Amino acid sequence: MIKVMIAKPGLDGHDRGAKVIARALRDAGMEVIYTGIRQTPEQIAQAAVDEDVDVLGLSILSGAHMKLVPKVLDLLKEKGANIPVFVGGIIPEEDAEKLKEMGVVEVYGPGTSTEKVAEQVKNFVEHSHA
Amino acid sequence: MSNIRMRDEELIEGMKNRDRKVLAKVLSLCENSPERANFLLSKLEKKLSHLIGITGSPGVGKSTLTSSILDELKNKNVGVVVVDPSSPFTHGALLGDRIRMQSHATSRNVFIRSFASRGALGGLAPSIFEACDAFEAFGMDDVIIETVGVGQSEVDIRNVADTVVVVLSPDGGDEVQMMKAGLMEIADVFVINKADNPRAQILKSRLNAVLTMGKKEIPIFLTNALTREGVKEFVNALDERFQKMKENETLAKRRRQKLFHHVKASLRRELDDLIDKSEVKGLVMNKDFLELKSLFVRELCEKYK
Repeated sequence: MIKVMIAKPGLDGHDRGAKVIARALRDAGMEVIYTGIRQTPEQIAQAAVDEDVDVLGLSILSGAHMKLVPKVLDLLKEKGANIPVFVGGIIPEEDAEKLKEMGVVEVYGPGTSTEKVAEQVKNFVEHSHA
Repeated sequence: MSNIRMRDEELIEGMKNRDRKVLAKVLSLCENSPERANFLLSKLEKKLSHLIGITGSPGVGKSTLTSSILDELKNKNVGVVVVDPSSPFTHGALLGDRIRMQSHATSRNVFIRSFASRGALGGLAPSIFEACDAFEAFGMDDVIIETVGVGQSEVDIRNVADTVVVVLSPDGGDEVQMMKAGLMEIADVFVINKADNPRAQILKSRLNAVLTMGKKEIPIFLTNALTREGVKEFVNALDERFQKMKENETLAKRRRQKLFHHVKASLRRELDDLIDKSEVKGLVMNKDFLELKSLFVRELCEKYK
């Protein structure tokens, strides 16, 4: 059983995308924890470690991804957790590249098919356990 | 799923040192390899935690109430298990109880864990007993167990918790609803949440009237979990109840019952696994009912020889 956490760091309150992904991963047979809007990186990282999730998805539409994502990655590292992180939202291409260089496994923009996300999430988990 | 690469000795050491990350791994073991978890937890000393069950229909405010209880328990170490239902079709689950209690995600004295019900029908998860043991082995003072949103007959929490809190909301129905068997019978404490609703008082007097027909005296608390009104009194009463239970042997009795139910759940699970495996191995071909039954019993006996 794959356990995923979907979280929304920062101050934007638009969580339709996060909910659509959470629902799609649920329908793909995963156990999905959704933590709601307006979370701090600390809340997200601690919850991911306590829940011992296999993979973490961050949804950001505020434009603050270059601040928030590295913070979550650092906190996870600090806590000794080796959890693959993917990001979804409105992310410019050059930023997406930078995020991947930092260790984010994938960045999804608007219009990505949910089947593709579910398929790839399974792959992230398999690779991280290999 | 999460592969646990740590050895038993490391996990035991980590639990003794109250290492939060190790507790997270042990809880995953409880979910995914419960018999290994049972073995490991049997090696650890356990604190006698107050196991508090919170149950009630979907949307009555169980998670919000749990969060407001945590607000009142700042001086205690508290473990929380929240259970949400698994899909009967895909086995997937959406676990959303954390949303209402994320303000406690970074509280050092609180550890919240979400479980999916994974086919269990009584309102809990199959590994709930192991999870309680893990929290007790970690030295929690209180353990809050929040069930899935239940109907009238999911009453397994009665076999797990020392204190069962049944949460009602003021739009709940007439007194005949309250006289029905099942959920209403298992309460040790009633909470009428959303007490800002004027109908809360009416529900309280109706519930009172029904309770006086019975033999057991069951306290009723009115709370507004959002504003924390009435929560302090309720939490204090829980504490007093637990102290009394320890003194007058009712706790020992409840724990004895819990032990039996734990063994029962564990045996059933092992038998289920054994039968599923035998089916896969093709051992069950061309055998009639009695042959099959004795085959499974013998296999289980063999394991514990």
